[in-house]
Formats: sequence, structure tokens, C-alpha cells
Amino acid sequence: MSLDAIKKATLAGAALSLMAGAAQAQSVRVTVAEYSSLTGPYFQEAAAAFEEETGTAVEIEVVPWDVLLQKLTTDISGGVNADLSIIGTRWLIDFVSEGIAAPLDDMMDADLTDRFIPAFLEPSVMDGQTYGLPIAASARAMYYNTELMEEAGVEAVPETWEELVAAAEQISALDDETFGFGLQGNEIETDVYFYYALWSYGGELIEEDGTSGLDSEAAYEAAALYKSMIDEGLTQPGVTSYSREDVQNLFKQGRVGMMITAPFLSNQIADEVPDLPYGVAAIPAGPDGDRGTYGVTDSIIMFENAQNKEGAMEFLNFIFSPEWRVRFSEGEGFLPVLTAVAEDPAFAEDPDLSQFTGLLPDARFAPVIPGWEEIAAITSDALQTIYLGDGEIEPTLNEAAERINAILQ
Amino acid sequence: MNRSILVNPYVLIAPGFLLAAFIILWPLYELGTIATHEVNRFGQLRGFSGLDNFMSVIRDPEFLGALGRTGIWTLAIVGGAIVIGLPVAMILNEDFYGRSVARVIVMLPWAVSLTMTAIVWRWALNGESGMLNSGLRAVGVLDANVQWLAQAATAFPVQIMIGILVTLPFAITIFLGGLSSIPDDLYEAAKLEGANGWQIFREITLPLLKPFINIAVVMNTIYVFNSFPIIWATTQGGPANSTDILVTYLYKLGFRFGRLGDASALSIMMFALLLLFTIIYVRLAMRGERS
Amino acid sequence: MKLTRKWKRTIVSWALLSPLIVLVLFPFAVMFFTAVKPPGEVLQPTWWPSEFVWSNFVTMWDATNFGRALWNSVYVAFLSTAIALVVSIPAAYAMSRFRFAGQGFFRQFLLVSQMLSPIVLVIGLFRLVVWLGLLDNVNSVVFVYAAFAVAFSVWMLQSYFSTIPKDLEEAAWIEGASPWQALVTVFLPLALPAMTVTALFAFINAWNEFVIALTMLRSQDSYTLPIQVFSLVAGRYTVEWHHVMAAAFVATLPVALVFAWLQRYLVRGLALGAVK
Repeated sequence: MSLDAIKKATLAGAALSLMAGAAQAQSVRVTVAEYSSLTGPYFQEAAAAFEEETGTAVEIEVVPWDVLLQKLTTDISGGVNADLSIIGTRWLIDFVSEGIAAPLDDMMDADLTDRFIPAFLEPSVMDGQTYGLPIAASARAMYYNTELMEEAGVEAVPETWEELVAAAEQISALDDETFGFGLQGNEIETDVYFYYALWSYGGELIEEDGTSGLDSEAAYEAAALYKSMIDEGLTQPGVTSYSREDVQNLFKQGRVGMMITAPFLSNQIADEVPDLPYGVAAIPAGPDGDRGTYGVTDSIIMFENAQNKEGAMEFLNFIFSPEWRVRFSEGEGFLPVLTAVAEDPAFAEDPDLSQFTGLLPDARFAPVIPGWEEIAAITSDALQTIYLGDGEIEPTLNEAAERINAILQ
Repeated sequence: MNRSILVNPYVLIAPGFLLAAFIILWPLYELGTIATHEVNRFGQLRGFSGLDNFMSVIRDPEFLGALGRTGIWTLAIVGGAIVIGLPVAMILNEDFYGRSVARVIVMLPWAVSLTMTAIVWRWALNGESGMLNSGLRAVGVLDANVQWLAQAATAFPVQIMIGILVTLPFAITIFLGGLSSIPDDLYEAAKLEGANGWQIFREITLPLLKPFINIAVVMNTIYVFNSFPIIWATTQGGPANSTDILVTYLYKLGFRFGRLGDASALSIMMFALLLLFTIIYVRLAMRGERS
Repeated sequence: MKLTRKWKRTIVSWALLSPLIVLVLFPFAVMFFTAVKPPGEVLQPTWWPSEFVWSNFVTMWDATNFGRALWNSVYVAFLSTAIALVVSIPAAYAMSRFRFAGQGFFRQFLLVSQMLSPIVLVIGLFRLVVWLGLLDNVNSVVFVYAAFAVAFSVWMLQSYFSTIPKDLEEAAWIEGASPWQALVTVFLPLALPAMTVTALFAFINAWNEFVIALTMLRSQDSYTLPIQVFSLVAGRYTVEWHHVMAAAFVATLPVALVFAWLQRYLVRGLALGAVK
């Protein structure tokens, strides 16, 4: 069999499978990312309720986060993607520039647009077109262990990085098993953990001239701050083996004084260690009073080649009702994305959440640049090199900035 | 003569050949196409680009590092499995009480999915909650917790150790088969001539095991070179790419960074590398056998 | 006297093997002890749990959708093994009994196809499965596993078959048996050990395979065990390690038992198959 013959055979097969696809165009297929063990059941329930109401069946595919991008990539390259999918909003530009994501404005009621908190909808808007709806949103704040603070004699919750270092010294001095500041140095968001300090020192990820901000004075200072904390034993040992989840585990065990993470830690503490005394505060400020938190949204997008756009839009309308959103945000521990939900007493009166929402004016979202994952990987690699002491701060960051600039232009 | 399909070899091999060829040649052809085209992150082709993708991989500084580590990784695990596997196989070939139990235990890692092994080890190697540290501290080997996966200096050797552990069963099985094929009279004759244990090993066991060792080298090199889950589930090639080997680098290129063209080019280069190794090794081994 | 010598050998052998045995059993111990810890104790690195919480296995079963994944794994492993054997046995028979043009090519094709890791091919494989319309269908995985098992199976079977003397079949022919009867009554019984070993191999590989299942299977209903367990640790905001370890333990047990039972055939079959 020649390759040409094989090729022809494929085309015939593809045509067949397309026809098969058209026959079952009634249902809506949705790919969802698995945030926790509750995600799958939640969407299954929503799908069942939707089917009961409208008669349109919804197929939910639950995908672990780690492999979501891979699955989407292979799905799209094979032309078998679902109608709707959750994606990290930071990937959105790649989907939009390749014509994969469909613009939604023409299909959306004005009413639907108005339901969202503008700050969360905005990252999904490109060139004046809405390409995704924020399905999950979170920001970052500092968690602290009040008991450890008291024991160590820390009087006030640190407001600046200088105060944080001082508090960390006191807490670390308690005993060998307790560490002042939990520093994440491994896996997803290692770079983000560094940006908290970078922003506080007045730095930016991407500077105004469109180049990387890693070779700036602010970046050097932020890296020096973390590195000195590691060297002086104010963090847990071996930071480069600690993923976010590992640092959270230390915090839950009461072995870390302070750490920066997302609101879902509150849910985990309530479930697993309800007796842990803790508080939530703003991320410390830099010497000039700058501060910044990281805002993240995940968007649900519709594919340009979706088989059932109408049904898909209907389903979006359905799950972005306040009733279903309350259940989602409560279960997963994310911030509300709908104004109506934010006003719901369950959220408005939650002290932890109000800390997070209070930070939103300062929140920065991942910049809209192609190749974000690769840039994040280069940054994390450079940071790990510095944390390990395998490279000097300035040359390491400069080299990373150079590689990032090559991707950016 | 009885005309039966049983005497037509082509009919007999056809189903197996077609099935294997279909699953292997087709994807290979796809890879070749992607590797020589400009391609977006979703695998949609954008135009012929010749060898650009290959050049871009070779120029990537991470590539050389990963290539070197793949060499160490493969050499250490294949070599380790042989150096440890040979004496273990010889022990297991002796007649002693509980031998079949010992055999089962030594072969056990084979029965466990590599993914699960790696996940269990990742948990065991955790710095503060891991049971390896607490075990070693209890026995008095360690005073303080070691953060095994925090730096390549400890992570990579541990990964190699896990690799040897899961590669051993296959090597030992082959060696055991080889040992059982050596007739006992040869040993008896050697003993009568007054040869000591080392001489017997060098003059009889080793030469007769040679074809078996060659098989173990070739097969294990192929498996180990392509082995993904151990490194992926423990460090994902980190920290700072310091434990990346070619397959993990390939996975990152293709599925993290969306550089499908580069990833396809790398796939083809890796395949060529293995092919080259196998051809050279088989040639050398055959020449060695003849001389 | 003879007895004491054997005892001596026993002690020396076990002593020499002990470091390896400790290392092999270590992950199993970690799995087991983590699996039976009370959830609140999981993060403490103690070995002995304060109490054995056997109910972890029960909660795990529901929380991880274990039954479904177990069934998928069993289905995939059995079916792909069966297909691989059905196509490999005739091919191996032909390779060992006939000389024919293209034989050398076929042999090399088998060796070369061994060198391709699924990871290397996964992008192309995916497109193939899409074309067949088998995406998110466990049958796609069956198909791919079977095909990947062909090379190894033919290779192993044919060298084993070569050791079965042809005279036996010819003797049967002379006695008036058709080639088919000769095959079934004379040849196959002799080849049974080799086929067992080959099947065991194909089965274990299918049971444990990761990358292909990860790419081809997309809804939890079609997940096999390795993917199901992996999804419990991959990218979630919390990892319930006692469930993960309980799932890994239960997933490992059946294969380990079958393996222990058939292990004695393995050495014989593989050794004969390997060298030739």
C-alpha cells in the first residue's frame, strides 16, 4: 500500500466520521478541568439538570489539570475537540490567534455579560471580542499561623517584606521543625511565587518596551530577598522540591508561619484541620509601598468548529446562573465571578474571602502573550538555579530574560 | 501435497505484519510530515520548512544537556542492571531453601506499573512527610531529613536507583535462562581440573552467558532510553531541567510548549540514535562472538 | 551433612539478597502503611499507624471510581493479549518453519519496531485513532496495545518454536494427519509454555501502560487503572495520599499474584525465546 493510498483512505474515513458526528449533533460536549474530587460530580449534576430542563444532553469529559493542555492540543490537531472547554486564560491568546476559539459576543445576551464582575471578564476579552467566560477565579493572599506568631512573639501581621523577614526569623528560631516562611520552588506557579516579591519591588513581568522584566533591578532585589531567606534558614529546607501543595501541607501541619496561596487553602483547612488557628492578610509591600497579587482566571471557551454552538451557548447561560455558581465556588473554594454571587451572604460575610476580594484592585493577571507556558518554564528554571545556588542572581536572570525576549518578539 | 494455508508463510505472517505495520508506519509517516513542516501548536501544518525544526532542536541549549544525561541514565541503568543482575541470577540459580519465594520477590517490580512505582517513590521521597527519611532516621543512617528531590545531585542518583530496580527483573530472568542452559558437566569437569570459583566464572559462565548478556543490553537500552514515568512522576525533569532526559524534554516540547514541529524532529532523531546504537552494538557483538 | 550444606547456602544466599529484597519491598510497605493510616495522620512520616483504618479501601473505591477503572483494565489487558497472540502465533510459526523471501526484512522490521516508544509516536497514533473513530473508546487502546505487542510476541515465539523439532510434526503427517491436525495435536501442546510466557508479557505491558492510555482515553468512564491513579495526583489542589496509595495497592495486587504464580514459566520461556 503506498502512502498516497493510505492518505486517501484516511480522507474517506475522516468524511465518514464527520457524518457520524453530524448525526449526533444534538448533544453538547464539554471538556472540564479537574480542580478537586468535587469537580466531576458537580458538572455531571449540572449536565443532568440542564438536560432535564432543555432536553439537550451534555457529555462531560473530566481531565486532570496537568494533562489538559496536552489533551486539547491532540484533540484539536485531530479535529475531535469538544464544543466547550475550560482552559487557562493565559493560553487564550494562542487559541484566538490560531482561530480555534470562537468569539462569543454575537451569541451572548447582554444580560449574560452583565452578570460578571468586570475585572474577571476582562482577561478573556481580546480586540474588543469576548472569547471566553471566566469559570474559575482566584487571587493570592498571605496565610499566617496565629499560634506560631504568638509563640514567637510577633506582635503584628507583617505589612512589608522587611517585617516579614523579621517575623520569619522569630518563628524559625522556635525549633528545628518550624519554618518562618513557606517558599514554593517546584512545579506549577514557581514563577508566580516569585512575582509577588517582584511586583512589590516595583517590577513588571513584561516591561513597556515589550521585553522581559527579569533583567530589572526589581527582579534582582526580589531574587536576592528570597535567596537570603533560604540561606538564613527562614524557609523550609530544600525549597526546590516543594510544590505549592507540599508547602500547603506544611502549613496545615502548623510547621510554617506564613505562606502565600489561593483561597482554596481555607476550604482545605476547614475540612482537614479545622482547629488550625490562622489568618489571611495582604501580600507584604515593598520598600516603596508597591504591592501586587496575582489574579488568575480559567475561562470556558467555545470552539470555532463546535458542532452545536447554540446548545453550547445555552449550557453556558445555564451554568452561569447564580444558583449553580454559588455551588461551584463554595465547593472548590474559588472567588465568585458573578456580581450576584459576590453579594451572596455566604461570600460577602466570609472574612477570608473578603481579604482576597479586597486585594483585587491590585491584582495583575498573566499578560496576554503567546507562549506563556514556555516563558513560565524558563522563569521557574532560572529561579530554581538561583535557589539552589547554582548560579549568580544577575547573570542567571539576564540569561532567562534574553531567552524570553526571543520568544516575545 | 496438502494445499493448506499452513504451508504458505505469507498468509501466516500477514495479519501480524499488517497490524504492526499499520500502527507503526502510519504514525511514523505523520511524524516525518510534521517534522519537515512549519506547524502551529495544534498540529495544523503551515508550509514546508525542510530541516528547520531539526536545527532549532540542536541549537537549543537544553537539548545537549538532556542528551548527555540520557547517556548517563541509559549507561548507569543498563550497566547497573547487569552488574547487579548477574550475581543475583547466579545466587537464584543455586539450590537453597525459599528460592522460589526469593525469585518472586526479586521479580516483583516487574508486575507493578512504572507509573505507580514512580508515584509511590515520589511520596516516599518527600522531604518532611516521606517514609524514606523517617525510615533511614529510625535505623540511624540519617540525622536530619534529606530533601531528596530538591537537587539533581540527590534526585538523579535516586531515579537511577529506581530505574535499576525495575530493570533488574528482566535482566535476571534472561540470565537465569542462560544459566540453566549451561550443562552441569562443564562445571564438574572444571572442578575436577581444580579450577576455583572465579576461574569457573571467567572461563565457563561468562563466555556462555555472553549472548544472553548481549540480549539484555540491547533490549534494556531500548526500554531505558525511552523510559518516561520514573523521571516524570518524581521531578518532571526539574529542578531547572537538571534531571531532564530526552523523553521528558520531548514531552515538554510537544505538550507543554506546543512546539510540535520540534518535538516531531526530536522524536525522529531519538529513533535514529537508537537505531544507530543497535546496529553498531549488534555488529560488535557478532564480531566478538565469531572471533 | 548434605542438609547442613544446603542450610549454609540458604543463609548466605538470603544474606546476599537481603539489600535488594529490602529495596524491592520498600515501596510496597510505603503503599500499604500509607493506605491504612487515618487521614489526619497521612502527612506524618511515621511508619506504624496509630490505628489501622481498613475502611480507607472502601472509601477509596467510591472516591476514585475504582471499580470502573478496574474493569477497563481487565478488559483491555485480556482482549489485547488475545489479539496479539492470535496474530503472532501463525507469524511465528511461519518464521520458524519456512524459509521465504522477505523473511530477513520481517525479522528486522520486528526489531526496529521494538525501538519505537509510544511516546515518540503518540502524536501520529492519536491521528490514527481519530481516523478510526475510536477516540475515547477503550477499544482504541486494545488495538494499539495489541499491535505493539506483536513485535515482541512473534520474536519470542518464533525462537521458541524453532526448538521444537520438525520431525514430530512430519511424523504425524506420515501417519495421515493433516497439517492442521498435526499443528493442533502435536505442535501446540509443546508450544504451550512459550505461549503462556508471551501472553503474560503482553498482559503485564497492557495492564501497566501509561502514555497511550493518557492520550487516547478522555472521560473517566474509559480510564484504565494507571490513568485513574495518576489523575489523583496530577494537578489537583489537594492530593489524598491515603486514597492514592490504597488504589495503587489494590491495582498492583492481582497482577503481582498472577505473576508470582506464573513466574516459574517465565524464566524457561524467555530464556529460550531471547537467544536466537
